[in-house]
Amino acid sequence: MSLLEVRGVTMRFGGLVANEDVSFAVEPGQIYAVIGPNGAGKTTLFNTISGLYQPSAGSIRFAGEDTVEPFSAAVAARALVVGVATSVGLVVALNVEELWRIAIGDNYAYGEAFPWAKAAKDLLAAFPGLGAWWGLGVAVLGFVIGLGASLVLWQRSRRTPDRIARRGIARTFQNIRLFSDLSLIENVLVGMDARMRAGFWSCLLRLPRFRAERESSESDARELLAFVDLGDRAEEVAKNLPYGLQRRLEIARALASWPRLLLLDEPAAGMNPSETNDLMRLIRRVRDRGVTVLLIEHHMKVVMGISDRIMVLQYGKRIAEGSPAEIRSDPTCIEAYLGKEEHG
Amino acid sequence: MRRAPLLIAMLAAALAWPIAEQFLPGSWSVLDAVKSIFIFAILGLALNAVTGFAGILNLGIAAFMAIGAYAFAILTNDLYPFQIGFWPAILLTLPIGALAGFLLGAPTLGLRGDYLAIVTLGFGEIVQDVLKNLDSITLGTQGINPLPAPVVPWWKPGEDGQGGGLGLVDLAEETQGAGPLLSYYLFLAFVVVAWLVFRNLERSRVGRAWMSLRSDELASRSMGIPPVRTKMLAFATAAAFAAFAGGLWASWLSSTGEPANYDFQISILALCIVIVGGMGSIAGVLVGALVMIGVNSIVLVKLFEWLQSKGLGASGSVFVSPNSWKYLLFGLALVLMMRFKPDGLVPASGRGERKPSGGRS
Amino acid sequence: MEFTSAEVFAQQVLNGLSNGMIIALIALGYTMVYGIIELINWAHGDLFMLGGFLALTILGALGLEEASGPMAVVAVLVLLAASAGFCGTLNVLADRIAYRPLRRAPKVSLLVTAIGVSFIFVNLGLFWGGVPMEVFSGGIAAAAPKDFPALVPSRNLLGTDDGVGFTLRDLLVVVVTLPLMLGLWWLVARTRLGKAMRATAQNPTAARLMGIDVDRVIGSTFFLGGALAGFASVVYALYNNTIGFQMGYRAGMDAFTAAVLGGIGSLPGAVLGGLLIGLIRAMSDQYLEARWTNALVFAILILILVFRPSGLLGMKQREKV
Repeated sequence: MSLLEVRGVTMRFGGLVANEDVSFAVEPGQIYAVIGPNGAGKTTLFNTISGLYQPSAGSIRFAGEDTVEPFSAAVAARALVVGVATSVGLVVALNVEELWRIAIGDNYAYGEAFPWAKAAKDLLAAFPGLGAWWGLGVAVLGFVIGLGASLVLWQRSRRTPDRIARRGIARTFQNIRLFSDLSLIENVLVGMDARMRAGFWSCLLRLPRFRAERESSESDARELLAFVDLGDRAEEVAKNLPYGLQRRLEIARALASWPRLLLLDEPAAGMNPSETNDLMRLIRRVRDRGVTVLLIEHHMKVVMGISDRIMVLQYGKRIAEGSPAEIRSDPTCIEAYLGKEEHG
Repeated sequence: MRRAPLLIAMLAAALAWPIAEQFLPGSWSVLDAVKSIFIFAILGLALNAVTGFAGILNLGIAAFMAIGAYAFAILTNDLYPFQIGFWPAILLTLPIGALAGFLLGAPTLGLRGDYLAIVTLGFGEIVQDVLKNLDSITLGTQGINPLPAPVVPWWKPGEDGQGGGLGLVDLAEETQGAGPLLSYYLFLAFVVVAWLVFRNLERSRVGRAWMSLRSDELASRSMGIPPVRTKMLAFATAAAFAAFAGGLWASWLSSTGEPANYDFQISILALCIVIVGGMGSIAGVLVGALVMIGVNSIVLVKLFEWLQSKGLGASGSVFVSPNSWKYLLFGLALVLMMRFKPDGLVPASGRGERKPSGGRS
Repeated sequence: MEFTSAEVFAQQVLNGLSNGMIIALIALGYTMVYGIIELINWAHGDLFMLGGFLALTILGALGLEEASGPMAVVAVLVLLAASAGFCGTLNVLADRIAYRPLRRAPKVSLLVTAIGVSFIFVNLGLFWGGVPMEVFSGGIAAAAPKDFPALVPSRNLLGTDDGVGFTLRDLLVVVVTLPLMLGLWWLVARTRLGKAMRATAQNPTAARLMGIDVDRVIGSTFFLGGALAGFASVVYALYNNTIGFQMGYRAGMDAFTAAVLGGIGSLPGAVLGGLLIGLIRAMSDQYLEARWTNALVFAILILILVFRPSGLLGMKQREKV
């Protein structure tokens, strides 16, 4: 089973078609490269895979499951509960003064013990008598609003970046997006959040679970920083980091969640040859750690040097796919990059 | 910890103030007024969590303060059957506030930042309206009073031949001697507890998640941080402590006052505290509270009293009442800070100099 | 005098539409500024309030409180021009001094600044009410609402004294707001400035590269938006006979809800939203309870934002990565 299956994905922005009917599959343990001239739709494809965009057509499956959350009994149940709660809430809200009077006002006498049981009974008995026709209408309206809102909000959250990230896909960005005010190690710790378990109360009260996780997460984070050769700068603020090192931090942050699939968007951009070699070694080490890598890259040396398979995009469409050797000698790809050969 | 010296200095000053006050002329007896600084410090810490850490501009924090005040009042005043006493009531303001925050946030925390800000603004107004209109429950513009003061264990002097000993002291009754001092230090203790709560959250995965959302929501989500849930935690926690501050406020005044007291001015005052002090900076917020309330309630009042004593301006004219300059003060504070010192007087300390969780290395 | 329920309903529709037109004017100013720099100019409502205070001051200074007939018409025209110019200029000043330096700052900073400006305006209104002029009751009770002279009488143009009343005031609303809206539409759709505004709203960088003076365009937008608020303030004051230093909040909230309802950034949306909010308020005041109208408007705002955030006529916004 392929780790990532992209089938017939089309991405439309108004009149512009950024990706058209793109299909490919990435097997576990591969280093898979997506290349193509500028404007070919590579980053759009990444954004669609990582959940920032929803495909206009087609499907994306990860580890055998669709990345879109299917409608389930749990979702329906939650919508029903919200509907009922809103319905009751609306009825209560519109009648709160009367309900209060019935339950508390009429039963309370200064200085005497309050009859709690009777008050509760009075309260429940009051409900049927609320406002005849329009009372029922309000209840129905409340139910519809609650149910509708729950479903609408669910619909908008069926396929989101955070869901997809928690399934095991991590990424870096073409224009580096670090948390500039946080330190390097804090950046990495945010990346690790998906694996962390200490809850709100644990953190608030500094419970043992929090303390234990703090130890382990910080040592893991330091190890990751060392893995990308940034170990000695752990406490520095991210925005002070030189550009060349910022990419490495992004990679460390992406790796922190132990993803199964890592999306690298032009990791070699702006690097000199020696840095490029380091990057290639790093990506191989990442793969050896068990992470599948999908990368966008323009540096042909990197692409040809480390990829197991390559897909070529042009004008949003896939024009070729194969091993580095095949792509190197494919006439369509050569034409895409270098233009048609002119015969005299 | 770079901020430690500042915090220690402030704590020391706060502890020493009642003693220092003995040596100042009578008109500087502001012990009671300083408690309002403490209450607004708590409110500021709450707003800082949601706006400073998580980046959600909440312009209606006064609404939660009102909810806390009225909840406290209804739970303790003898017009209602509950009458559970100071401590249970004040502690209950926390979950009640959190629930209110949850109910408002659930449908709205997915909205864009500026829309959400206006929604919180509207909420501030609506809560006021609701409290005013439901006057058969809340007594509307009358306000609910009297309200209990804290009851603390303290040394009771002997009376009628019986020896003194440790007992419970109702601070509402002890208006002389130890009473005001105990009340002052109790409120200070509340501030310290609130400070500890938010500091613990700041230096943990919760705080980091908040700050990452504020820094770059897109990147944060791509790391797996669930935006609505995370924002809800900030929103509800802030609401909880705002409600707590409201309960303290009502207890201090022994009255809820009228719903209009919890209006936009209070929300903006809290916002000024956070922005002047430093968004995202706990130490900054405390300084901000000192500056804003200090200037607003103490310095300004004294200034106008002095002006009047010099015969300047007929009393009654709008220009010589300190209250009529508040809007201008707040407005200028916001505009000037955003323009010249957006990070506040005491910016959030550069994270580079601190261990991420404040732990031992 | 007994009114049939149909007459009551019709009257409320009329009132709602009249007030709705005023809200629409204010909402237009809101939505224009939002469309061009994505700022919710919270100070807009208070700008509207200041326009009313200026109008009252002019009336008092020129001694025109008792004007009637042709003099009243002249007075109204003077007020409209003056308030529009004043509010427009004030808006431009606010942009220059407070918002422009923050063009590249995060949205939060801008919104906070707008709130700061709003507060400054509110205090200005409070002090204004304390000016020792007769129209301000000598300047005592500065915080109290002020009566605005009834230059436009509430004479029913439909003749009869019962039934539905379409008064001179309603006519005033129509006569002022309709041409303004048409004029605005023409300006945005047909003139160079309008094209520049639309271009800047869509893509400021590209607009700049095409030679458009973006700062001037933004300034013009602020002026126009402010002027609309100024016009609205005079109409409001004549229609309701009262102004107060806190009226900007309500006006701003209603106008913002209207703009969002119609689709923020959309001019026809602002008009539609304004009319709808006016109608809803009128219906709520009549058939529910006036004290709950504000809460109802707020609930509607929440519902729109949950179910259809782009509003009735707005377009879906997508974030480019």
